[in-house]
Amino acid sequence: MSFNRRTFLQIGSGALGLAITDATFTKFAFAEGAAGTLRVAIAKPAGNLDPQSHYAIWAIQDLMFDPLVRYGKGGQIEPCLATDWKIEDGGKTLHLTLRKGVTFQDGTAFDAASCKWNLERWLGLDQFSWMNCSKYFQSLEVVDDHQVALHFKEPPLALMQELSYTRPPRFLSPKSVDANGKFVEPVGTGPWRQISADDTQSVFERYDGYWGDKPTYQRLEAKVIPDPRARVAALRAGEIDLVGGFWIAPLTPVEAKQLEAAGLNVVIDPGNVTLVMAFNPDRTEALKDPQVRKAISIGIDRAAISQALYQGFARPAGNLFSDALPFAGTQHDAPVRDVAAASALLEKAGWTGGPVRSKDGTPLTLEIVVSPDAVPGSRVVAEVIQSEMKEIGIDLIVRSVDHASKHTDMLERKYDLGFFLTYGAPYDPFGTVVALCLSTFNNDVEGKLFTDPANLDPLINAATAATGDQIAPSIQKVYDWLRDNDAIAPLVYVPSIWAHSKRVQGFTSPVTEYDMPYENIVLAE
Amino acid sequence: MIHFISKRLKHSLVLLFMASLVCFTLVVSAPGNVAVLIAELRGAVATPGYVEKVAEEIGLHKPLLMRYAGWLGDAVRGDFGISYRTGQEVSADLPKRMLVTGTLIGGSGVVATLLGLALGFLGAFWPYRLPDRVSRGLALLGASTPTFFVGALMIYGFSVTFQLFPSFGFGGPESWVLPWVTVAVLPAAVLSRVVRVGLEEAMASPFVLTAKSKGLGRTAILFRDALPNIIPVFINALGTQVGLMTATAIIVEPLFAWQGVGDYFLQGVKFRDFMVVQACLLIFLAFFIVVNLIVDLAVLMTDPRIRRQWS
Repeated sequence: MSFNRRTFLQIGSGALGLAITDATFTKFAFAEGAAGTLRVAIAKPAGNLDPQSHYAIWAIQDLMFDPLVRYGKGGQIEPCLATDWKIEDGGKTLHLTLRKGVTFQDGTAFDAASCKWNLERWLGLDQFSWMNCSKYFQSLEVVDDHQVALHFKEPPLALMQELSYTRPPRFLSPKSVDANGKFVEPVGTGPWRQISADDTQSVFERYDGYWGDKPTYQRLEAKVIPDPRARVAALRAGEIDLVGGFWIAPLTPVEAKQLEAAGLNVVIDPGNVTLVMAFNPDRTEALKDPQVRKAISIGIDRAAISQALYQGFARPAGNLFSDALPFAGTQHDAPVRDVAAASALLEKAGWTGGPVRSKDGTPLTLEIVVSPDAVPGSRVVAEVIQSEMKEIGIDLIVRSVDHASKHTDMLERKYDLGFFLTYGAPYDPFGTVVALCLSTFNNDVEGKLFTDPANLDPLINAATAATGDQIAPSIQKVYDWLRDNDAIAPLVYVPSIWAHSKRVQGFTSPVTEYDMPYENIVLAE
Repeated sequence: MIHFISKRLKHSLVLLFMASLVCFTLVVSAPGNVAVLIAELRGAVATPGYVEKVAEEIGLHKPLLMRYAGWLGDAVRGDFGISYRTGQEVSADLPKRMLVTGTLIGGSGVVATLLGLALGFLGAFWPYRLPDRVSRGLALLGASTPTFFVGALMIYGFSVTFQLFPSFGFGGPESWVLPWVTVAVLPAAVLSRVVRVGLEEAMASPFVLTAKSKGLGRTAILFRDALPNIIPVFINALGTQVGLMTATAIIVEPLFAWQGVGDYFLQGVKFRDFMVVQACLLIFLAFFIVVNLIVDLAVLMTDPRIRRQWS
């Protein structure tokens, strides 16, 4: 056989073709992912997973660490590491029966001793006084190997809800700290065990000794992809299987639409967080008048905001909380935009003329402060409201600030109008009502949604002191007061958005934005 | 030569000092309270008392000059402080991130050089004919397309549609291809025009006429006579483009989920992580200065006229 130029070219092109084919199929295999592995996008590295620190992604901690009780749909408290509980002594004592046969991922038994060790890492400490159960903690009593009792100075509000939080109440193996009690490695009782973690990904394998329902797949990889466009592309390219969650790797409604159009599965949950507009009457005289506040509120087209900016995924809000939350109160329809009625209210309040209304020579100019870092999409929402306010004779100036400036400005009340997000499950309704509406609650830097020490504070205090059947009617009085005085303008219920590949089957949205929705997933290989 | 290097080094140190002072002033004078962000990251609720404690701890109450002097003293010893956001030492995070950014800029520099030379020569071989027009059109397109858009197109084409390369991550060589090309497109466009114009000018010189009269072909003249003439200009242009690539890295690294210095800087800015921002700025500035120094030396070596000037 002679080796001429033609043979050389034939062999060369054949080799090149083989190389390309091999590379292509290798890539396809890479894109499809290893069998039995769920690949989830996270927007930043998982961080320090110590349940008593505050650096980590909640959902990653949720994979490894169990709570005593879980927050279920509609705020139902469900058993987890505690199988039974009794609240006695007027709410000052909590008896807990611990689940038997539970071991941490390092083989250590979960019992009253390890429960006590964990709870004493945070209960009663100043750092955690934002939680009622820690603020009022008195003592912990070990009854027997599987029973403990917690004693409080005062009955803690929403005690069982607090015990379902991701941090600090989750349980860590006593062997996962050093001699000084400093956290060394994440070892919990949960269904997933961490096998590696760095700035690019955290890898988990199924803990086969888990006491509950085990995941149907062996491995979970949380891939760090900070850029939202890169997350969308990675899902479309088949390099990840699941993306979404406000605190995990948020998707915008526009991205969700793009993914839907590309044939991926998009799951929209109504969510349990509300975007609310706050008025600041302390800075601007005009906003002291409820008529002006009402005019602004009914001058906003919530349906249009939902349709145009949230792609129809968000529901217009007529209440501080949606009915997805417990004690959300009587549900009212969202106000429908009524320019004529809004203008009439302003006329009645003495704001006349145009194009910008004025009163006693003062133009009706207001400033809205927005921080897209804190509330994604808020600048666009503010611009829409700006054009709507123009139609009713209000000159609205939009001031966009970064996250740090937003905190400073909101705390120092340097705004006329501003956006707030309610805390959502499992913290609400009391989390938002107390932190953002009670004037005497002064331990955060979020600023205030609306306060009225004379009229609103007594209602909130009554609601937080109520027990049993009294809770619903007493918190309803808070909602009614806010509504009757047009103190706030709820805009939309922010949806929870997830997208996944065809490989993921059985996906259901998590109950809260702090959970990782791995539970019902089956991987189609 | 030694005189030249020592003079350039002195200038570089003064420049570094001035630039770090300007950066420091800009970072600390931004509105908002960084202590609030740090307190929020450390605890679930940032109480005013805790915010005050954090402010005290990070020295926010000290005079600006004292803060700057303290930071500079530590930085000179290689201690860039602790990241407010992660609690990790910045100097411990930097080496691995510099490796990532170095891979990005180094690889992109090579791709840009090869592409720039190839396109430039293509035009010079067939001036004012189809290859030249194509090369000019590609250069115009490359120079006018924003880098983030090039990156998005690359991902859409080669990751989403053909699934040839990963869309994110810093793994093996296959994960380097798209980021390298994304960063290289703009510099390659600029360099191709530098090569094309430089070669055209050189080909109009009297020495080319002499070479032609000696019977040399166009290819030989281009490589042997014209190319050495454009090397100093090319090196200058390449130096500028490599410097600009650091700015491009800030856009491209997050796009491809590469945890390099650009990504570190961006995260630092977002969270007002002062120590991280200052360290990254200092690295960028030092890199610019070192690249400029190398360029000056390379030009000195390749251009006899400048060498004579300093000898």
